[in-house]
Amino acid sequence: MKPRFLTGLLSLLMPAMVLAGEYDLTVDRVKIDTGDFVKEGIGYNGASPGPVMRFKEGENVRINVTNNLDEMTSIHWHGLILPFDQDGVPGISFPGIKPGETFTYEFPIQQAGTYWFHSHSGFQEPDGAYGSIVIEPEGREPFRYDREYVVQLTDKHPHSGDRIMRNLKMMPDYYNREQQTVGEFFSDVSKNGLMNTVSDRMAWGGMRMMKADVEDLQGFTGLINGKGPDQNWTGLFEPGERIRLRFINSSAMTYFDIRIPGLDMTVVQADGNNVQPVSVDEFRIGVAETYDVIVRPKDEQAYTIFAESMGRSGYARATLAPEEGMEAAVPQLREPARLTMADMSGMHGMDHGSMAGMDHGDMDMSSSEGMGGMDHSSMEGMDHSNMQGMDHSDMEGMDHGSMAMGKKEGPSDPFYAKGSGLVPTAANGGKFLSYADLKAQDPLYEDREPTREIELRLTGNMERYTWSINGVKYEDADPIRLKYGERVRFKFVNETMMTHPMHLHGMWSILDVGADQWNPIKHTVSVQPGTTVYMETEVDEPGQWAFHCHLSYHAAAGMFRKVIVEGGPESTQAKTDVIAKDGGEV
Amino acid sequence: MNASKLFVAGMALSMSATAFAAGAHDGGHGHGATSGEPGKASEASRTVTVEMYDNYYEPEEISVKPGETVRFVVENKGNLVHEFNVGTPDMHEAHQEEMMMMVEHGVIQGGKLNHDMMNMDMGNGHSMKHDDPNSVLLEPGQSKEVVWKFSDKGNIEFACNVPGHYQAGMYGEVNFE
Repeated sequence: MKPRFLTGLLSLLMPAMVLAGEYDLTVDRVKIDTGDFVKEGIGYNGASPGPVMRFKEGENVRINVTNNLDEMTSIHWHGLILPFDQDGVPGISFPGIKPGETFTYEFPIQQAGTYWFHSHSGFQEPDGAYGSIVIEPEGREPFRYDREYVVQLTDKHPHSGDRIMRNLKMMPDYYNREQQTVGEFFSDVSKNGLMNTVSDRMAWGGMRMMKADVEDLQGFTGLINGKGPDQNWTGLFEPGERIRLRFINSSAMTYFDIRIPGLDMTVVQADGNNVQPVSVDEFRIGVAETYDVIVRPKDEQAYTIFAESMGRSGYARATLAPEEGMEAAVPQLREPARLTMADMSGMHGMDHGSMAGMDHGDMDMSSSEGMGGMDHSSMEGMDHSNMQGMDHSDMEGMDHGSMAMGKKEGPSDPFYAKGSGLVPTAANGGKFLSYADLKAQDPLYEDREPTREIELRLTGNMERYTWSINGVKYEDADPIRLKYGERVRFKFVNETMMTHPMHLHGMWSILDVGADQWNPIKHTVSVQPGTTVYMETEVDEPGQWAFHCHLSYHAAAGMFRKVIVEGGPESTQAKTDVIAKDGGEV
Repeated sequence: MNASKLFVAGMALSMSATAFAAGAHDGGHGHGATSGEPGKASEASRTVTVEMYDNYYEPEEISVKPGETVRFVVENKGNLVHEFNVGTPDMHEAHQEEMMMMVEHGVIQGGKLNHDMMNMDMGNGHSMKHDDPNSVLLEPGQSKEVVWKFSDKGNIEFACNVPGHYQAGMYGEVNFE
């Protein structure tokens, strides 16, 4: 796919048009070979993942998308700031692309960085319809590198997206292999005593969740740039070179913890926006997020890029090496994280009736280790004098989050519930990236007071596999109405026990990490169980936009909203009316 | 609390020793490579202006003669705190750990330096002052001079050791003519 530059005559006629790139994409049925299984899927230009689309900031792009499928399709340019009717969400931005039809997208490129694109129709994206976008900035980058690679991850499942959704609807734990077993129950009994174990289990059952629900879709093969662990995608380097790795998580459902044993990674970009560089040993990439890191391998040896799923049910693997065929050791998967009661502290909707017999004193103890299987006998020697400063009145309100007494032991991260079992730690004991480390390199917006706050409770019922916002799923919900020119503060309250990567289309999400004007801007914001996260949005794009959890099956189940921006430059309002009439699926 | 005080005191000790202890870091290389020594302005053969941006230098390389004394005028034109430090890669690496502590203790806060913290007496006359002769640490808009007499040929870089900046590429080469 080469850009065809409309030069010559056109540039004579239109001197103002600096650069215009024209690109062609076809949407095709393709074979996807993960090394573990071969599966029919959907791709672009004959392959999944699709090509790396390389744009330049300041150019106008025309992208001709031809649908070779026998069903409707669409392409959403994830993270790009563009007119809403080019955003590619059927039923919100446009009707979609019919079989056999070519649709031409046309928009100006007004940003730089690493992004991606994917189908926004049905489950085409989990079925393989995704690719990457690299935008070269107009000026110089605020960092240096000698070569670069896109490292695009996905969680390829042997089942089609439609089949997975049917199975989840029928049996929400269909793909959850990490559930606690009867054997584990008895081992907990011997460690913790019968009553504690029973009350703990009753509590989890009362919340209609399984204790191991870190991931609700297991059984996938992790791919990097379309290659499974055994196929080992390899990026070459000369020792001493600085390499920019553009990590993109295009998974349907899977968060990955990424490390390269032997190399520090300096994070320089998050979601396409430059951040003040921070060196880490490991980082967690949420679904739909991107992180750009710079590494500098100095030795003539291979290094493994190891991406473990957050729930440790699978991994992706690739290699950086001085020559093809070299490889380094592949680490073992670590023990899966277990949610603790702290991770459910936000669940106001839970059934307190079934918790009557529960000993709350024991609950906080188990959360203190971040693991269910804590040996309570070791607590005999605990120094209770440390607890004097504890405000016991807090405990009346049963805020489990504040009850984590073992904080000094366990890892902590302000973006996880206190005492959470999910707080990631680096495999080598070093630095693990937190959202709190992300600071804008060069703030895009002036810091100002938000004009109002909108609370969005992230809600769900695992037993019926329904996911919603404020308890209402998409098809029953009114759109969120914003006014052009306002700055809205969104308050996400995660009342479920799963992590939700919330993605607002068309406008930036300014993540509140407590750094005021240095708060980073993102397109996808992860909200951990039992936590409240704030982000602000400068409402600077007219039209109507999608706003949803980027876990494919959560979005499809209803954790999704339409956002309508009222006002703004004229003519956009008329266009939204036309699309609203078309309706259509999402 | 006690532990962190000790930590800070230890850091102050090591910071004031940076420039001259560097030879020890390079001990294995045989030539005892050092970056040079503080120079006298009156002996400077020329002035080189180095502008610091977020997060890179202009220029990104300079040429010097062995033994030459150069007067650097360093200007911070960015929005973040930056350092200009002349040294070997090993020296920079060692100094980066100290700078990390300065961030952890709130001495460096994005675009600001906490001077009270820097001047605080940590006991035994130590402080977190960043006053080594081979470097300057500047807030946005500040400008300072470094006069440096380069030694013989060696692997010398000028670098910003504010955490992450060197790794992101904020360094320049010193080429010997």
